[in-house]
Amino acid sequence: ENREDMLSSKSNRLTEALEEANKLFSGVSCAREAALDAQFLVLASNIGKEKANELHSQMTSFDSLAFAEDLLTFMGINRIEVEENDSDSEGIPGGYLPSNAWHKLGEETEKYFRRAPSFHYMLGSFKSDPPVPRQRIERQKKATGGEEKRAMPAQLKKMEESHQEATEKEVERILGLLQTHFKNDPDTPISFFDLVIDPNSFARTVENIFHVSFIIRDGFARLKLDDDKLPIIEPLKDNKGKRDDHSTGARNQAVISLSHQEWK
Amino acid sequence: MSQRKRSKGSGFSQGNDEDEDYGVSQTPTHTQVQRNLERRSQDQVNQKVSELVQFLLVKDQKKIPIKRVDILKKVIREYKDVYSEIVNRAGRTLQQVFGLQLVEIDTKHHIYILTSDLPRAEGEIMHRDNQTAKLGLLMVILSFIFMKGNSAKDGAVWEFLRRLRLQPGERHEVFGDVKKLVTEEFVRQKYLEITPIPLTDPPEFKYQWGPRAAKETSKKNVLRFVAKIQGKDPTFWVSQHHEAES
Repeated sequence: ENREDMLSSKSNRLTEALEEANKLFSGVSCAREAALDAQFLVLASNIGKEKANELHSQMTSFDSLAFAEDLLTFMGINRIEVEENDSDSEGIPGGYLPSNAWHKLGEETEKYFRRAPSFHYMLGSFKSDPPVPRQRIERQKKATGGEEKRAMPAQLKKMEESHQEATEKEVERILGLLQTHFKNDPDTPISFFDLVIDPNSFARTVENIFHVSFIIRDGFARLKLDDDKLPIIEPLKDNKGKRDDHSTGARNQAVISLSHQEWK
Repeated sequence: MSQRKRSKGSGFSQGNDEDEDYGVSQTPTHTQVQRNLERRSQDQVNQKVSELVQFLLVKDQKKIPIKRVDILKKVIREYKDVYSEIVNRAGRTLQQVFGLQLVEIDTKHHIYILTSDLPRAEGEIMHRDNQTAKLGLLMVILSFIFMKGNSAKDGAVWEFLRRLRLQPGERHEVFGDVKKLVTEEFVRQKYLEITPIPLTDPPEFKYQWGPRAAKETSKKNVLRFVAKIQGKDPTFWVSQHHEAES
């Protein structure tokens, strides 16, 4: 308990206590007392060590109070000129520290340190544990991947449909034309070439032939050779055409070639 | 040399618990490393060096010292047989490119920090963050400890800090929980070492400089700081000056 007292360089109390312990030890007879004695010795030696330390630092005593005051001054303290005998905490004078006080002190301090500046990427922070974000990215990728796949077939379907539709529509259109024409003028067969050739576009001509072939295949029209051996086309009534085909089982194939030159 | 051969590139070591799977219990000798190096593609080794440099720079952000165990596990991995070469090259890169020093502050447990090779230039502080203020506080504590003979009791330290308007129980507008900052953060960063004083009841603690403080500043610098603040010459404090110069 009297630690501070013993530590004081002016006191001999430690020595006195040691001497007393020595005297007491001669009267010791049981183990417990010896243990106490040992404990005392440890304590005493600790105090002794501290005293020795104190000796060293007291060679040039350091006035920490003055240091504190000077620090406050450096930090830019505003000392209030108010006479207060009983301030809220003993020994601490009044005064107001500005908010940048410690920053100011810190800036001065930097000069005395060789601290490595903190390294930060300019473009955003670096997370030192990648696993978490990575998992999220993977999950997201999987999710969007699935969706994308689903989107793809839908798109394709649409395209394919439109193709088929386009073809069908064209076929129907041509058939319609054919039937209308024939209705108006039943006795005049239509020259195949007149029907299919587009004077302005070779490609269109080929397409027309393509579409007409469907009509013939499905039995809505018939190709014949006229007296001049030129192909003519005439629409058939559905039933007749189909029935005919079935009974006769005749299916003819014709290959029509049309080169660009010939078209011209 | 002969007794080291057994441990060349081996995984498990004898009773060295902290090295775990990446144990380098008896480090390969220089010649062994050179031989191992020849077996590896130079590009890949250099890649590892770059990775280590980046790893160290990022790990240093919080100023918490970096353990070799982590380096081995996260960066070096299967290249542990050329570990020393990679570390040396990384250190050279850090020095030549960034002006930083890779310093081992604990040779037993193999812990590293980064310090600056270059002195701080005037008027250089680009960003204003809490780190500067914290450094100010740290310097104040380090000064107190040094001037009091390299060691100070916690009671004395806090009495001193109270004079600077820092109360351990109160929330500070700049530092927040000051007590936590001093007793936990500074200790974890190895700026301060706080050890209990035996047989004290209630328990008291001893504050000393930590190994990082010793590497990043010096007694001489701290004395200069104190002298500047107090408007005196460093030689005013005879024994401290003597110790700082030795």
